[in-house]
Amino acid sequence: MKIKVCGMKYQDNIEQVAALQPDYLGFIFYDKTPRHFDTEIPEISNDIKKTGVFVNEDLNTVIQKINEFNLQAVQLHGEEAPFYCNMLRTTTLLKKPIEVIKVFSVMDGFNFKVLNEYEDVCDYYLFDTKGKLPGGNGYAFDWSLLNDYPSTKPFFLSGGIGIDQINDIKKFKESEVSKYCYALDVNSKFELEPGLKNVGVLREFINKLSNNKEMQKYNVDERGYYGDFGGAFIPEMLYPNVEELRENYLKVMAEPKFKKEFDQLLKDYVGRPSPLYFAKRLSEKYNTKIYLKREDLNHTGAHKINNTIGQILMAKRLGKNRIIAETGAGQHGVATATVCALMGLECIVYMGEIDIARQAPNVARMKMLGAKVIPALSGSRTLKDATNEAIRDWINNPVNTHYIIGSAIGPHPYPDMVTRFQSVISEEIKWQLKEHEGRENPDYVAACIGGGSNAAGTYYHFLHEEDVKIIAVEAAGLGVDSGESAATSVLGKEGIIHGCKTLLMQTADGQITEPYSISAGLDYPGVGPMHAHLAKTGRAEFMSITDDEAMKAGLELCELEGIIPAIETSHALAIFKQKQFKPNDVIVMSLSGRGDKDLQNYIDYFKI
Amino acid sequence: MTEKMNRIQEKLKEDKKLLSIYFTAGYPNLDDTVKIIQELENNGVDMIEIGLPFSDPLADGPTIQDSSTKALKNGMTTEVLFNQLRNIRETVNIPLIIMGYFNPMLQYGVEDFCKKCQDIGIDGLIIPDLPVDVYHEEYKAIFDSYGLINVFLITPQTSDERIKYIDSVSDGFIYMVSSASTTGAKSGFGEEQSEYFKRINDLNLKNPQIVGFGISNNSTFKVATTYAKGAIIGSAFVKHVTNEGIETIPNFVNSILK
Ligand SMILES: Cc1ncc(COP(=O)(O)O)c(C=O)c1O
Repeated sequence: MKIKVCGMKYQDNIEQVAALQPDYLGFIFYDKTPRHFDTEIPEISNDIKKTGVFVNEDLNTVIQKINEFNLQAVQLHGEEAPFYCNMLRTTTLLKKPIEVIKVFSVMDGFNFKVLNEYEDVCDYYLFDTKGKLPGGNGYAFDWSLLNDYPSTKPFFLSGGIGIDQINDIKKFKESEVSKYCYALDVNSKFELEPGLKNVGVLREFINKLSNNKEMQKYNVDERGYYGDFGGAFIPEMLYPNVEELRENYLKVMAEPKFKKEFDQLLKDYVGRPSPLYFAKRLSEKYNTKIYLKREDLNHTGAHKINNTIGQILMAKRLGKNRIIAETGAGQHGVATATVCALMGLECIVYMGEIDIARQAPNVARMKMLGAKVIPALSGSRTLKDATNEAIRDWINNPVNTHYIIGSAIGPHPYPDMVTRFQSVISEEIKWQLKEHEGRENPDYVAACIGGGSNAAGTYYHFLHEEDVKIIAVEAAGLGVDSGESAATSVLGKEGIIHGCKTLLMQTADGQITEPYSISAGLDYPGVGPMHAHLAKTGRAEFMSITDDEAMKAGLELCELEGIIPAIETSHALAIFKQKQFKPNDVIVMSLSGRGDKDLQNYIDYFKI
Repeated sequence: MTEKMNRIQEKLKEDKKLLSIYFTAGYPNLDDTVKIIQELENNGVDMIEIGLPFSDPLADGPTIQDSSTKALKNGMTTEVLFNQLRNIRETVNIPLIIMGYFNPMLQYGVEDFCKKCQDIGIDGLIIPDLPVDVYHEEYKAIFDSYGLINVFLITPQTSDERIKYIDSVSDGFIYMVSSASTTGAKSGFGEEQSEYFKRINDLNLKNPQIVGFGISNNSTFKVATTYAKGAIIGSAFVKHVTNEGIETIPNFVNSILK
């Protein structure tokens, strides 16, 4: 269940509560309450939906407040009629679509028939305790009344919820109707005085709720594990560096100044938001609804730059002036070289000798951007070995160097940090899909997986949305059983690679084996620990696509949609030949990169 | 821990500076393992680290990487190594430590691995990528029950607080990495190292320290053991074996101890 903290008033207090990462923060724009909000909202994480609470307010005023305070939701506490709600959902005066939450007060009974008229005009209901005031009365109603709830619309549960209700909430969660309970709304029971929240008690409440496991099921825990996978299996030489990062990354990422700089660069430099494009002809061909999340349109041509922007800002905060990276396809190397040029920092990229040969254009780009490209000559001379070399460099340069890992792999906190930087992908998908389809959740999200960063970003905000199915696409190379493959979820066993426990391809003796894929970006013998966990728990469906299937799917996208995809991405596109979707299914696929870097491969393959 | 004192603990009590040598098992030839161990003991080496080769040795520089790759090509595996060492205690008395990365041990089964070590007469393990806290929580009980000493690394960057924690978890010696580097990176010690050696000495830890990384000859051995109980030579020995073959091991050891 999500958490909404309502009745925020004071700047410092807002920032402190925001650091607890609730899902919604409520600001009451109603001057007859002591919690009336009359100042500025400080810079807070975009993951938290700013919610304006109104009571029978003039529509124009509501619209003006939404735009002025950049609100993502409104909560209507008066006798607002259905047409009023509908106006808010359809008006062209808003910059972004808004979530509408309609409040109903419950006392000794409730006539659920009144909901009928609101079914199509709001996103959520909120059930509050009826009292003297419109909200904030401080005691709970009898939740068993909700057993007669006739609708399937998700609702907020509100009214007098405090830390003493933890057990009642646990009990409520066992009831049938609780599956429609989308969020808990808390307010007066956590206050030191009206409008001033007790952060300590609130933290305890949130922790106690999430100890119910539900929230952490697919996210990293405080030890750095996703279920059985993750952790930090690093030599002592790396401990200070990794520990410094672990101690600081969440704090730094929550800083409003950091967020602002990150968002600004994503917007002005990377070109975000990237479009969510309805692929009409592709959809027609496969008789389903396919949306492509256009990460290929980012500056430098792939999703990789979302992460490098985040990490370069992190490196600067930590006072590092030398940047190292590994790269497979060269996309991450280019994205790292780019941000180093942007910030004027020294950049060294390790790249397998074989990959240097098959991704020549990206090698040239890195050099033009001022990076030094050092070939990895050991082992299979691909991504795995480039990663080893980067780690060795870091061991040898522990003080001034930050290692920008390019995928959701490595020792904790890297998988989580990279995932969070990439999560902008699913954050955007949510509101973009809402514009297209009127709903935030697709039926499927799908992405290709090398180490799993574009996939992690695409899944992130859907991990705990049970109605969204997750598809992960791996490279089968010449075929899963051919001995020339990179399909880790099928061929891998639990073990340790590059500092984390995950699934990896290895011999019976525990030696890491050399994978194969036509795509340099998927040619990796492991997967990120989050994906290992998604595989083990069955949360994600893993599919394997051969070189041949991928190349054909890539060409098909060129012909049907006029988009030349990266070969990595082509693997994801090939699932439509393997899996039949229903005509009404909405599938959002991460179009992780563009195919410019792969032209020579396509040319050779199709003898163009 | 165990009723009998471990050979490492016995050795650490001797009133002398200790020379420990690392070599990669299965290199230069698959079957050199036992010969190398015997030669080292016969020439006065105090302790041996037997390197179990790994495909992705993150903490190692090119010399040990290359020897590991070659050893794996020669056919070295965990099982083969255990077989080679089967009767080692009939001829060898000095402490023997297996140094290897965690994944091969995990695949063998940590408990099975430890049991096999005890059967053979291995005294301790050095596992660079098994962090001390994970060891403490998940594996210490197993290691203890098979009488194995686990040795942890510290570096110039390790905080005093963490060093004290590592000291508290250790019951043999502490492996003091001479500088922030992979193996074989440097030769010769500067001011910085001397200060670091002294700083650690002044912490008065309960476990003695043995210095490793960057020791290649008599003079670096001497500097390293000014404060520390002993020193470990790895890459320099592997290089010697590569260039001169295993017949000249006596020359190498004598040049260090002269
Ligand atoms: C376009 C593109 N997609 C996908 C990947 C795979 O990486 P990840 O699994 O981290 O998204 C790469 C890696 O180089 C890439 O360049």
